[in-house]
Amino acid sequence: MSDKPNGQVGAPQHAADASEGIANVVAPKADPRDYAAQLPSGNDAGLGADEPVMLHLADFAGRALDALDNVKRRGFDGPIATASTPQLQGKPAKKSKLRLVNRPPRPKRDRHARRKVAFLRYGYYDIAFKFCVEHVLDADFVQLPEPTRRTVELGSANSNDFVCAPFKHILGDYIEALELGADVLVQFTGPCRLGYYGEMQEAILRDMGYEFDMLNFATCAGKPVKEYVAECKRKVNPDMSISAGISGMLTVFKMVECLDAYNDYYLANAGFEVRKGDFARARTEFFETMRAAATRQDVDAAFARGIADMKAIEIDKPASPVRVGLVGEYFTAVDAPSNLHIEDKLLAMRVELARLMNLTNRNLRYNEPNLRASIPEYAAFDDGPTSSLTISAAKKYAQEGFDGIVHMKSSGCTPEIDCMPALQRIGREYGIPMLYLSFDSQTSDTGLDTRLEAFYDMIAMRKAR
Amino acid sequence: MAKRKAYLGVDTGSISTKGVIIDENRQIIARSYLWTEGNPVAAAKRVVAELGSQIDQAAVEVRGVGTTGSARRLVGAMLGAQVVKNEITAHAVGTTFLHPDVRTILEIGGQDSKIICIEGGIAVDYAMNTLCAAGTGAFLSSQAHRLGVEVEDFGELALQSKHPANIAARCTVFAESDLVHKIQVGYPREDIVAGLCRAVATNYLNNVGKGKKIVGPVVFQGGVSKNAGVVHFFEEALGQPVLVDPDGHLMGAFGAALLAADACDSLSDAPAFDFNVADFEFKTREVVCQKCANHCEVIVVYRDGDIIDSWGNRCDKGAIKPKA
Repeated sequence: MSDKPNGQVGAPQHAADASEGIANVVAPKADPRDYAAQLPSGNDAGLGADEPVMLHLADFAGRALDALDNVKRRGFDGPIATASTPQLQGKPAKKSKLRLVNRPPRPKRDRHARRKVAFLRYGYYDIAFKFCVEHVLDADFVQLPEPTRRTVELGSANSNDFVCAPFKHILGDYIEALELGADVLVQFTGPCRLGYYGEMQEAILRDMGYEFDMLNFATCAGKPVKEYVAECKRKVNPDMSISAGISGMLTVFKMVECLDAYNDYYLANAGFEVRKGDFARARTEFFETMRAAATRQDVDAAFARGIADMKAIEIDKPASPVRVGLVGEYFTAVDAPSNLHIEDKLLAMRVELARLMNLTNRNLRYNEPNLRASIPEYAAFDDGPTSSLTISAAKKYAQEGFDGIVHMKSSGCTPEIDCMPALQRIGREYGIPMLYLSFDSQTSDTGLDTRLEAFYDMIAMRKAR
Repeated sequence: MAKRKAYLGVDTGSISTKGVIIDENRQIIARSYLWTEGNPVAAAKRVVAELGSQIDQAAVEVRGVGTTGSARRLVGAMLGAQVVKNEITAHAVGTTFLHPDVRTILEIGGQDSKIICIEGGIAVDYAMNTLCAAGTGAFLSSQAHRLGVEVEDFGELALQSKHPANIAARCTVFAESDLVHKIQVGYPREDIVAGLCRAVATNYLNNVGKGKKIVGPVVFQGGVSKNAGVVHFFEEALGQPVLVDPDGHLMGAFGAALLAADACDSLSDAPAFDFNVADFEFKTREVVCQKCANHCEVIVVYRDGDIIDSWGNRCDKGAIKPKA
């Protein structure tokens, strides 16, 4: 029965043509083929009762002729002229009860901005940055390759020598991004000197002769969200969609949580792989699928698959492995090139690692007063960007019986230096060895290897006893 | 008659190279200490030759080799070492063997300084200088040179002083300006030398030793421990005796030999060490990997033209493997 051509009389009864049926129900009188409605009826004639009888008769005769004409056309399947606006191609215009002539549908605006946006490098979060640029700002993302020694050399050559290492790394990233054709650079803000870095870096890069826009969130830090939106519109995309942006941002948050949860499992287990390289390979694959994600569903699916793949890897984990907690400063503790891949070095020594410092814990779920409430004996007030998290994480690891704690900071990072006396007290009170590491752009792999190896020997011998 | 087993430990530091041979009972039977002179390969050869001449090679054979110190990898490759250990572990192992009751090890070497806290014979905490080598042996020897005094005489001279000069040793450059100023003002030389020694001790305690609880017995070792002045000021600052072992400067090498002995006891068929390393020519070449923009500096060690070891590459792309 569904092989009847569309548009035939009675077609509205087809279940498959629900949309047409609805259209007919909504505006039945507009259908010229609705003959019954057009049959003569004295009451709805336009003539008043006080008109002369002859006029009534003439009106009746005219209507009767019209009705006969309609009856004659009953078997006619061809097109019937109707007084309606020609439909534009594509989606049929929605018929309005109120309008005689439907408004032509507005062509969809292309909201995409042809701007090449680059973020700084920060661990594996480039995946989330990419999503943010493509689905929130709706612009082109400049994917930076893995950083190399040249990156930090470029950064150091153009910064003050005493500025902290993250500044140099980020400046190097920006120079490489500009070389790759980026025209918008993004800088976050931070509760430490990082808050001033965007402005400084912008000035340095302009002095170097680069032309670009700087989307620096330090300019609207602490202001209402609409200021952030206004800044994004001003610098990147005046047409960005707020609704798509909000849903995109929620997906970015989800993505960050997935990446961090994935990394937690990775750090805890990758040191015990039976076949060398299994975990690294699985992670690369996971990052690729995550990078290709376009929706929240994609993110969830990529995460579920990534975790399942990783759990399927054969591991040989002793019942009581050597466990090390990593704490430290926002940038250095998280970004592998900044800490000379310390996680890989420790994993290669068959160590179970844990690191609470990540975007999920520091930004998405950060509740500083709560964290501080867990360390009343060590901190009476919020001492800066990551201090409460550093100290509370160290205490947590100590209480959970970890074998050692590694504290990482960039050289000269004042807030983290202020954490060290508290960490030293934790070390003494819980009897847990701590290794304090400072990184700058000159720090060598050799020196780090010596210290890590010695630290591992120490905690492993201590544990064996 | 079966030869007695012995083990060799070599500690190649930035300034000096140390070597010991221990017998099965872990007693030192040969010792050597000489300047690295910027050539660790030659220094290691000389140390090995000197050690070889001290033992009766007909009765003793070396069945295990351990290396430590900043050139441990290179010297380890050269000597075919079974154990290549960092100097912190080596010092802790060596010292706790000789002094089982030690609680704190202070160590000041040529370029680095470290503190190791021990509990019940096991290292529980350590710290090492980072980013700065102020107040180490290199600093003392450069200042000795400036004052025209042999660094070996520094300690004796310092002990003669009644009023040590105040010298800031936070930073070598500032210490030097401070020192020049004191010289120009006409301070007696022994006061300046004593001031330097005190600065080394306080600088160490304020930097490396910061936040560490220094509990006795305290053992002080490393090249600087031979400086009686520094020892004196450590005792003054800590308010307790500081023990300096006559073999304190050899502790790293001794620890490496002990670790080699432990590692080689299990494998009995290890070939005996050949003292003729001096006959081989060892060469190191730096290869800058061009596979990516990171340009890793890969260090390749050759023995008579054959690659025996390489390191320094961050990924497998830069791996240079010895010919099978």
